[in-house]
Amino acid sequence: MGPNMFAVRTLTTKKYTEDHEAVVFDDSTGIGVVSITDYAQSSLGDVVFVELPALETKVTKGDQIGAVESVKAASDIYAPISGTIQEINENLNDQPGLLNKSPEDEGWLCKIKVSDPTELDSLMDEAEYKAHCES
Amino acid sequence: MISSVFHRVTRTRLALHYAHLLSTSATQVVKHSIYVSKSTNPYFNLSLEDWLFKHKPHNDPLLLLYRDDPCVVIGRNQNPWKEVNMTELRGVGIPFIRRRSGGGTVYHDLGNSNFSIHLPRSSFDRNDSAKVVLRAIQSLGLTDANVNERNDVCVGRFKICFPHFERMIVNKRAYHHGTMLISSELGTLGKLLNSNKDTMQTKGVASVRSPVCNLRQHKPDISHEDFVYAVVREFQDHYNIRETIKWVDEGSDCEGIEEIRKGMHELTTWDWAFGQTPEFTYTLEHTFGWGTLKTNLHSKHGIILSCTFDIVDLVDRGGISEVRGHLDLLERSLAGEKYGFLEDEANPKELTGSESARQLWDELVKEMKS
Repeated sequence: MGPNMFAVRTLTTKKYTEDHEAVVFDDSTGIGVVSITDYAQSSLGDVVFVELPALETKVTKGDQIGAVESVKAASDIYAPISGTIQEINENLNDQPGLLNKSPEDEGWLCKIKVSDPTELDSLMDEAEYKAHCES
Repeated sequence: MISSVFHRVTRTRLALHYAHLLSTSATQVVKHSIYVSKSTNPYFNLSLEDWLFKHKPHNDPLLLLYRDDPCVVIGRNQNPWKEVNMTELRGVGIPFIRRRSGGGTVYHDLGNSNFSIHLPRSSFDRNDSAKVVLRAIQSLGLTDANVNERNDVCVGRFKICFPHFERMIVNKRAYHHGTMLISSELGTLGKLLNSNKDTMQTKGVASVRSPVCNLRQHKPDISHEDFVYAVVREFQDHYNIRETIKWVDEGSDCEGIEEIRKGMHELTTWDWAFGQTPEFTYTLEHTFGWGTLKTNLHSKHGIILSCTFDIVDLVDRGGISEVRGHLDLLERSLAGEKYGFLEDEANPKELTGSESARQLWDELVKEMKS
């Protein structure tokens, strides 16, 4: 019996929607971190405002949870997965440009306490998403 | 003459298409490619635009033309108190409406014609749709019209077409919306869009001011109908579309479409019109007979997060602790109230006997409604 026997194994899964949202799900916490993809930010151009959902809002996969306005256009953001909004990225209030600089990391949008992790199965993995962008 | 011909054509077409309605409401597929709204209700037209945008198959181009009764239309992420002079707006008795697309504030009346061109993202090019509109007005005899480097349609150095706003579903579809000034009340426009609130610092999106003029200054007999037909012709040519105009109206054509009805209602709600306002701060200074105060307002989503007062000057320095006490009470009761919608109940009961507190309250109410 090695010392690692009781170590918690965590598994994070990154999935994508057709509307160019990404979600990173951590199965040890049940939390999904939502962002827009790098592909989305480059199509949008310079982001000037990010509209985020209210804390504690219950959302169903596909619900509008916010919007991104760039110098070119306003585009809606949809929940990639069902659950409750647990945290929002307040830094985006003052620095909407984080979405361009680091869309899938520092520019994360919100954290959702996921109600049904099996919904992830219907989302695309990285290879499928890549193909989707090229189609 | 042109106008009476137009009306006859309209009636015939409506009679012919009356039974077809806008869509097959069960499947909500947008069947046509060229829509002209007969309604001048801005709530209807904005909701129709959004509905067409969402339901038209992604690969097909679509054109919508309409005009609106007088109103001010602000961008999705704008601050109505910063963009609009609310006192003037109430004076002329027209609404402001927050649209679902981004961008800046515009004034609509029957003297300007709105167009939106919806295209798949892959073939979306601002310049392309600006050129359709440019060729349309050139075909009406305005041969010196041009498109500048920002894709605004101009005659000389004056814009005749308000900035274009776009809304998109990433990678799928985008629309390009513009407003052609034909005989708009430019004086009213200037008055309504000047809020004079320099000390209001707002997040979100600011409007860019541009010198504008009306098409009629260059061609006195041009009408909305002329513009509609000219844009339709150019759109048909450019995208190689054979079909004719599908005229739509509020009521019979669209009343079965729940989404449009709901969209119209949503635009009128406090949650959308005011509650969508980005965070802002507003600093004010007021001098009363009894002293001078600096007021610091902080609001987000239409709610007052905090309102604090600094005493700059007091005539009766001996009364400072009482004044401070009153101000503290007021600060506590204002937090959480709706900005611009202060009700007398929010005025602390303890202050109702104080004339100076009343003066301050009245000033705050007035400022937030301006």
